[in-house]
Amino acid sequence: MDETHTTMAPDGAMAEKDMPEHGAADEATGSNELFLFLASTAHDMKNSISVLSGTLETLLADTEPASEEQARVAYPQMAHMLYQTKRLNDNLIQLLALYKQVGKPEYPFDIQPLEMGDLMEQVISAERVLLKSKNITLVTDFDPALIWHFDEDLIIGVVGHAINNAINYTRDTIRVAIACVDGCLEIRVEDNGRGYPAAMLEAGVQAMSGKRTGVNFLTNSTGLGLYFSSEVAKMHKHRARSGSLQLENGGAFGGGCFVLRLP
Amino acid sequence: MNEALKLNATLSGGNQLVDWASKSYLIVDDFIGVRQLLRESLRSLGAKSVDQASSGGEAMALLTRTRYDVVLCDYNLGEGKNGQQVLEEARIRNLLMPSSVWLMVSAEKSVESVMGAAEHQPDAYLIKPITEGVLLTRLNRVWHKKQIFKKIDQAYAEKDFLRAAKMCDEQIALNKVHEIDLLRMKAHLMLKSGETARACEAYERVLKEREYQWARTGLAKIRMANGEYEQARQIFQGVIAENRYYMDAYDQLAVAYNAMGMPEEACSILDRAAKLSPNSVGRQRALGQVCLKLGNVGMAEKAFRKCIAIGEYSVMKSADPYLGLARVCGMKNEPKEAMALLLTAQREFAHDQIELRAKITEGMVYHESGDYRRARKAGEELEEILNRDAGRPDVPTCMEMATLLFAVGVKESPVDLLCYVIKNNHDNTVLLDDVQKVFDKARMSDEGFALIKASKKEASDLMNQGVLLWKTGKLTEAVDWMREARVALPNNMRILFNSAQILISHLQQRGYDPLLAQETTDLLLHVDKIMPDQQRFAQLMEQLAALCPRVDDASERDARSA
Repeated sequence: MDETHTTMAPDGAMAEKDMPEHGAADEATGSNELFLFLASTAHDMKNSISVLSGTLETLLADTEPASEEQARVAYPQMAHMLYQTKRLNDNLIQLLALYKQVGKPEYPFDIQPLEMGDLMEQVISAERVLLKSKNITLVTDFDPALIWHFDEDLIIGVVGHAINNAINYTRDTIRVAIACVDGCLEIRVEDNGRGYPAAMLEAGVQAMSGKRTGVNFLTNSTGLGLYFSSEVAKMHKHRARSGSLQLENGGAFGGGCFVLRLP
Repeated sequence: MNEALKLNATLSGGNQLVDWASKSYLIVDDFIGVRQLLRESLRSLGAKSVDQASSGGEAMALLTRTRYDVVLCDYNLGEGKNGQQVLEEARIRNLLMPSSVWLMVSAEKSVESVMGAAEHQPDAYLIKPITEGVLLTRLNRVWHKKQIFKKIDQAYAEKDFLRAAKMCDEQIALNKVHEIDLLRMKAHLMLKSGETARACEAYERVLKEREYQWARTGLAKIRMANGEYEQARQIFQGVIAENRYYMDAYDQLAVAYNAMGMPEEACSILDRAAKLSPNSVGRQRALGQVCLKLGNVGMAEKAFRKCIAIGEYSVMKSADPYLGLARVCGMKNEPKEAMALLLTAQREFAHDQIELRAKITEGMVYHESGDYRRARKAGEELEEILNRDAGRPDVPTCMEMATLLFAVGVKESPVDLLCYVIKNNHDNTVLLDDVQKVFDKARMSDEGFALIKASKKEASDLMNQGVLLWKTGKLTEAVDWMREARVALPNNMRILFNSAQILISHLQQRGYDPLLAQETTDLLLHVDKIMPDQQRFAQLMEQLAALCPRVDDASERDARSA
């Protein structure tokens, strides 16, 4: 069993009590108990979910549908199960990361230089089975030798989440494009679906503005993902500039676009 | 070949493909489901040889038997050693090959694992769940980096720091993505070579790219080494303000405060750091020691107990917290527990001058708990040990011993000890203040003041006379004089360094002499042993190496391998 949460809890409480000057702690004081509970629960579940999603992915990758009936019913169902498991896992990871950001100790933000080739390789391989089983084409547009400095694990999480989301919205194609725009790294995840509804576009603005009241991230999983992604974007700072997140409609296919900018 | 591999082949076209199938693997995780999943991932990379361990102890046993190419180790392993401790022990016991890849796996990143200035860093951290793509990408990246650093590491091991630094520059030109790591290595090498300015240059170049805290901290450490404690303090505080989980900055700031003679501040910063990140053996020990110095018994006890608890499974385990805790017990008038701790310390650590140090502590404990008869007896036994051995222990031990001997009424030998300390450290003003305090406590303020002054003068006269001879061109006399000075004051850094400098001058001006060169080498290695990583050490080593008669590369290599 992984026991991190039991050692984490008292540290968190201690740090908060001794350092009342820290803003984030004050803001979260009321919900700290809840976070602690959620974090412990999420933590407990994570190992099992990892095994579940790993096994599903292996099964899907290795199994060719034996009959037409199977290809029509069972296979897509299994793919959907993988999608749901991934969502669940994403949410758990995000909850834990958020807990560390809001509670104590903070997430150890770890910036390193990375080639875009390495980033995309990891993102694509994580989504490969799901994309294939749902018959969705992934188009990419990036320079593999481009180097940027960021927290690799967090950004893989955000982009992976955006692709998972696009899988839900797209008709059959998703495009991931990375480019250097105005001195920032711009990562776009675009789909050819009907675009984001107005409420989602608004939620994107809310998440960036930092008004946590605008997103009920405890009940609305989309809100949680957005909130998490915008927090990750904002954590990235370089020479007085911060990262940002934007939801828009349009892009190469006229569908929904998830745009992450990192300084 | 499965699709993950094909994908990898197309994406990382520039990189050479690594044959991961033929490598040997060890998976360490206490959760069987995770082990199976990781094994499946490795199998799909083609791996055939995969061992598994479910605890740190089991992992150590396997590591002792087999040299693995790749170790995937979970950070949290339940009871016993954690992943970091397994890695540290494996490195210290040389159970890994230089080419071995160590990937640390955790359910989430821990502050201590990422920010900790742990001496033995894994090659990469992975967060669960580990997908095949992430695993393969990181494995390839680590492998590629190892190839780049292979020759640099080898030159480093041969103490050929400047050649290693040159190789860093060559690699920076070829590998943009590893530029930051190479610059970090280069700065480290430049520091080792005494080229402070060029180390600063490397750090500044990193900072031009991005605000990396380790580079900022590196600049502050250079300031500190130059005695610019106030400037160093400001930088460390700046780093903490920027990232309050950068633990190394806290520990370094405490070192700066101690060097500035500000133990209260050192204590409070270590206390803050220990609350944020309590599982560092070194930090708890430093905290306990400064608390003891300040007389804060409660805090000292807590720190030493924590230090012993977290050190239990660590190779960093030492006698210090046991001796410190014994002192605490003495102060709390619990001499029985103190003696039990001293016995444990002597049983578990049969080195570190443990007999002497335990005896000093024993005397102090009895003295503080009012058992003057036993304290006196310990003092007598100490004097015996002193008389038996001409060598003197390190400075803190000398100071403690003098304090105790004064306390039990002995006068002559502690005065000798303190004069020895002053003469060997005559320009360390913070230490001289501490010595004065020991005299004050023994109600010998005036006498102590005079003794310090006289000892200081004796040492600087000894040194100045040598330097004067050297400056007036009397090289042989200068060499002889410094040789005598070294016998009188065997651990005085300034005398040792000046002595080496004068020997090198002699070699430069009067021609190469293998005997003198050997004397200089021995002298410098002695200096490096008593106080490692001094800039002047590297500078003098380099000057000395330049004087060596040139041999062609082939015979040099032969000599080296011989």
